[in-house]
Amino acid sequence: MAVYTMKRITVGMISLFVLVTVTFFLTRMMPGSPFEDGNVSASVTEAMEEEYGLRDSPVKQYRTYMTNLLKGRLGVSYKQQGVTVESIIGNAAPVTASLGAAAVITAAVAGTGLGVWRAVSKKKTVRILLSGGTLLGAGIPNFVAALLLLLVFGVTLKWFPVTGLFTPAHYVLPVLSLSFYPTAVVAEMIYNTFAEEMKKEYVVLARAKGMGFWQIAVFHVLKNAWIPVLNYLGPLSAFLLTGSFAVESIFNIPGLGREFVSSVMNRDYTLIMGLTIFMGSVVIGVNLFTDLLCAWLDPRVRNSYLEKRWGD
Amino acid sequence: MRKRFVAFILVICIFCSVFAGGCIKRQKAPAAEGKSITIAIGSDTGSMDPAGSIALTFLSYSVSALDELLTFDENGNIEYRAAQSYEVNEEKTIWTFHLREEACWSDGSAVTAADFKNTIKRALDPKNGSGYVSYLFPIQNAEEIYNGELSYESLGVETPDEQTLVFYLEEPCAYFLDLLRLPVYMPSCEKYADSALSGWDKNPETSLTNGPFFLAEYEPKQYFVLKKNEKYWNTDEIHLDTIIYRFFDDQQSMANAYETKEVDVAVSLQSAVMELYEGKPDLLVTELIATRYIYLNLEAEPLDDVRVREALNLAIDRAELCKIVGKDVSPAYNLVANYMVNKNTGAYFVEEDKQPFQENKERARELLAEAGYPDGEGFPVLTYKYPALEMDSDTAQVIQEQLKQNLNIDIELKAQELQTNYADRHAKDFELCRMNWTADFADPYTYLSMLLSNNSYNCSHIQDEKYDALIRRSEMELDVNKRFQLLHEAEQYAVGEQFYIIPLYGMKSCNLVSRRITGIRQIPASGALEYRYADVTE
Repeated sequence: MAVYTMKRITVGMISLFVLVTVTFFLTRMMPGSPFEDGNVSASVTEAMEEEYGLRDSPVKQYRTYMTNLLKGRLGVSYKQQGVTVESIIGNAAPVTASLGAAAVITAAVAGTGLGVWRAVSKKKTVRILLSGGTLLGAGIPNFVAALLLLLVFGVTLKWFPVTGLFTPAHYVLPVLSLSFYPTAVVAEMIYNTFAEEMKKEYVVLARAKGMGFWQIAVFHVLKNAWIPVLNYLGPLSAFLLTGSFAVESIFNIPGLGREFVSSVMNRDYTLIMGLTIFMGSVVIGVNLFTDLLCAWLDPRVRNSYLEKRWGD
Repeated sequence: MRKRFVAFILVICIFCSVFAGGCIKRQKAPAAEGKSITIAIGSDTGSMDPAGSIALTFLSYSVSALDELLTFDENGNIEYRAAQSYEVNEEKTIWTFHLREEACWSDGSAVTAADFKNTIKRALDPKNGSGYVSYLFPIQNAEEIYNGELSYESLGVETPDEQTLVFYLEEPCAYFLDLLRLPVYMPSCEKYADSALSGWDKNPETSLTNGPFFLAEYEPKQYFVLKKNEKYWNTDEIHLDTIIYRFFDDQQSMANAYETKEVDVAVSLQSAVMELYEGKPDLLVTELIATRYIYLNLEAEPLDDVRVREALNLAIDRAELCKIVGKDVSPAYNLVANYMVNKNTGAYFVEEDKQPFQENKERARELLAEAGYPDGEGFPVLTYKYPALEMDSDTAQVIQEQLKQNLNIDIELKAQELQTNYADRHAKDFELCRMNWTADFADPYTYLSMLLSNNSYNCSHIQDEKYDALIRRSEMELDVNKRFQLLHEAEQYAVGEQFYIIPLYGMKSCNLVSRRITGIRQIPASGALEYRYADVTE
C-alpha cells in the first residue's frame, strides 16, 4: 500500500509539473499584456513590461519562474500592485472552500435522504415526483439554478440576501444552487444501490433475526450503498473546492472561480500560474485521498491495486 | 464494519472543518456608523496609491478621500481644495500654488508641498506603473526623467517652503489646471507613501488622506469603508459619517443588490435598467464624457482614399444604430465627446461649431463610385475588430447590415476578447477597429491630441502636417477664445474633411440612487458621481 501511495504521489507531482509548464507557455502565447489598458499609452506599457522582465524570451522567463517556484515563491500579482499571489489565494480559498464544503454536505445528506425515501416509499406519486425531481436536478446547470433562486427568493420574495457571504443567511442561496446537481446525482445513486442491496441475502437474514426495517436500512444497507457515493464525492469536492465562476459571480462572492477568470482576462500571468498550481494540487490531492480511502474500505479495490503491483 | 463508520465520520469531519475554517475566515460585514450610505461599484481593480497603477478603486476612493489642489464646479468656477490660491506668469509656464495652512492629514500632521511632490517623484519611476504619468510630461524634464535620461533633481517642480508648490513647464499649457484632478497631481503623505508596491495604500493605518473622509477598513475584493475625517478643514460641509463602497463584478448583481436594499447607490448599470425604472425617482442618468468611434487603418487599401473614408462615414445611419444599441447612447459626429463642456462659454464644445459632416446615403454611393467601386463592385472585404461586449457586438452587426444595404459592401466581423483587442490596436494590426475614449480631463485636447502624428494613441497611421500644425498653434495660443477656435478648426478638418475616424455615439451612464440620499453631485470633468457633500434623510 505504501509503495502504491508513493507511486501515486510521484505521478501527481509529474502531472503538476507538466500542468505548470504547459500553462506557463500558453499564457505567454495569449495576445495582450497585463499592462495594456484602454487609457494607458503604449510607451508606458512597454516601460512596465521591461520592468517586470516580460520582454525577455519566454524560456528565460520560464527559468526564472521555476527557480522562484522551487524556493516556494509564487510572486506578486501584476494587476493588484504590491499584493502577493499567496495572499490572494489565501483570501479567496477559504471563501470558496466553505461554500464548497457546505454544498458537499448538503448534497450528501439531502441526496441520501431523497434516495432512500424514493427507494422505500410505497406511494407511487411520491416515487414519480422524486424521480422527476432527480431528473430535473441533474438537468439544470448550476448557473440557471442560481438565477432562478436569486430571482424567486432574493429579488421577488426578499427572504434571503443575494450578495456576499456576510451572515449564515447569505449562504443559503449559493449553497442551494451549488448542491442542486450533486444532490440529484447522489439521490439517484443511493436509490439504485439501495434497492439492489435490499434484495440481498444478508438483508433477509437480518429480517429473519428480527431486526426492524430502519435498523437494517441505516446500519447495514446504507453502509454498502455509500461506497459508490464516496467515489463520486471525491471529484465533486475537487470541483467545488476550486470554485464555480458562475455562482460566485452571480452572488458576488470573492472566491477562487471569480479570481481565476478575472486573472485570465487581465493577463495577470503570476496569478494565473499560482491559481493553476493551487487548483491542480487540490484536484490531485483530493482524488488521491478518495482512492486511498476506498482502498482502505473495500478489500476488492485494495486487492486490485496490489495485484497491479505484482503484475509490474 | 467499524472501519466504514470511522471513514464516514472522518469524511464528514473534514468537510465540517473546511466549512468552519471558511466561516471563521469569512470577513465580517462592513461597520456602518451614524449617517451612512452603501455604494455598489465595479470590480476591485488597481492600486490606491496615486502614483501607482490605478483604476476604478482609486477613482472611487479619491473622490471622497483626497483633496486635489483645486477643481472646477459645474459652472466652470474654481473650487479651491488643498490650495487656497495660485498665480501664473504671463507665458503660462510657471504655476505657483499656495497651500491651505490649516489643511492636515487624517492623523493631524500638516499637508505640505513635499507631499504633492512625493506623488510626482514616485509616478516618474516606471516601477510604480502609473498609467497617468504622461500627464506629468508638460513639466520640465519629466519625460526625460521617466525615460531614465535625466536625474530626478532636474525636475521642474520646486517647494520653496512647506506651503508653496511651483511647477515649471516646458512650454505654455492652457489646460494645466484641468490636469490637477488627475491622480499624479494628488498628494501622498511622505511619511508612509514610499512605493506603490509596499502596500501602504490599502492599510488604514498608513493610508492617510487629506480630504473629508479617511480609509477605515479595506477588505480586498469585497468592500472598503470611509469614515468622516474630523480633522478636515471644511468639516462643516460634510454630513455623512460613513461611506461603504462594495465591489461587484457584474452589473446585474449590482442591480439585484439595489433591489434587495443591500446597497443605496448602484452606478454604471446596463441600459435595460433605464427602461425598468423609467419614471421612478431612483433612476439617475448622467452624461458620460466619452465617445465610441472606429479607427480606420490608413495604410490598408482602400482606406487610404479619403473618398472611401467619407463614404463609410456618410453611409452609417447613427440614429437607427442608437435606437438598436440602447437608450443610453446618442449619435456622435465628432471626436470630442458630445457632453464635454467648454468651461469658458458653458456650452457643449461640439455644439459651438457646425456638425462636421451630414449623413447622406446617395452621396456615399457616389463617392464610392468615384473611388472606383460603383455599387460596391470590387470593394475588398474589410475586417472590423471589436471587443466581444454586448454593446459593441450589437453595434458591429448594425454597421455590417447598414454598409451592406447602403453601399453594397461586405464587412467581416471579428469579436475579440478585450485585452486581445487592445493588443491588436496598439500593434496597428487591423483594418477597422473599435475605439472608446473617456476624457481624462475637461479639455478637448484630451481627444484631439490623439490624432497627432507622434501620439501613442494614434493607432491608424495618421501623418498629417496640417493637423499637427493646427494643434501645435493651439498649444502655443494664450488667448482662450482663439485657442478654442483653433481646436474647432482642427476637429472640423480631421473629422469632416479627412474623415480619419468614424464617430458612432456618445454615452450616458445609468445609476440607481435611493430616495433618502440628497446632495450627490456630478464631477464635470468625468461625469462620475461625487458623494462628499451628500446627506441622508431618514
